[in-house]
Amino acid sequence: MKNKNSRSTAPFAYEGLDRVIHERARLSVLTSLMTHPDGLSFVELKQLCALTDGNLARHLQVLEEDKMIHITKEEDRGRVQTTVRITASGRKRYLEYLATLEQVVRDAASVIEASEDGRISRKLSPVNA
Amino acid sequence: MTDLNRALVDIRNIRRQVAQTTEFRGYGPLTLSATAVLALLAGIVQYEWIPEPANYPVQYVALWLTTAVLCAALIATQMLTRARRLHSGMADEMIRAAVAQFLPAGIAGAILPFVLLHVTRDVFWMLPGLWQIIFALGVFASCRCLPRPMLLVGAWFLLTGLACIALGDVRALAPATMSGAYAIGMTLVAAIHHLSAQKASTDEEQEL
Repeated sequence: MKNKNSRSTAPFAYEGLDRVIHERARLSVLTSLMTHPDGLSFVELKQLCALTDGNLARHLQVLEEDKMIHITKEEDRGRVQTTVRITASGRKRYLEYLATLEQVVRDAASVIEASEDGRISRKLSPVNA
Repeated sequence: MTDLNRALVDIRNIRRQVAQTTEFRGYGPLTLSATAVLALLAGIVQYEWIPEPANYPVQYVALWLTTAVLCAALIATQMLTRARRLHSGMADEMIRAAVAQFLPAGIAGAILPFVLLHVTRDVFWMLPGLWQIIFALGVFASCRCLPRPMLLVGAWFLLTGLACIALGDVRALAPATMSGAYAIGMTLVAAIHHLSAQKASTDEEQEL
């Protein structure tokens, strides 16, 4: 209800554009995790998102503090394996973000379409001699 | 295509990709249990009204196809509301994927009796076995987006289907072959979905 009201009074407020997700690296980390529900290792995430160790660790920390991901460390053949999984709330927030992002693009497309239609109709309107 | 349209297509592709890797929770355990009861009722109806199905193949097909349509309608109706509630923004994609995975089996199962009735009546007794095998293939095709133990259900229907064919004659048309296989199979499906939903809610609670 609140969203509907805010949308009608401030249609371009886009409150669903979550600041934590709305960052390129974190968006790619979350998208990778969304498409791998069983989780990804730190190395796999690094490769999928083209991030450095330090950069990825920093973004994972932000996401973990916000309870969007869950990080587990397990020992496998003497080596510590870090696995990252998206949480249920992270999943929910990502989908809400995606829906808002889609709305942003749709709104922009409709504004452009309307302005183009206006231009065409102006061109087609009869000129008073 | 403008950049904006391309962006919309990209967002849709992300959503589709996410939908393909998300466990579909649109099947409600209670509705699935109801389909098991319907299968049992259909078995009772067959026992009472079609004691010799080999002599009344049209009635046999009508009974089981009607039961299948009723079950499909029940499942579909609940799927629409439940998936919208549980998968919100991805519901349409997930419903589309779930239907697309099972639809080929459904169509094959619907066409098969007409072929057996009109072309090769001698092997009409194979119908229950073939129906169950086709259903098993549909379950296997849907397994990607369902809880993993659902493979057991596919195996169950495959085994019961093969067992029906192994009977080798009209005994395969007995009421128990269809109602037993589907009542047990659908109860298993309902139990797996119930346990999976319980596990999901426990996981969510633990996260909080």
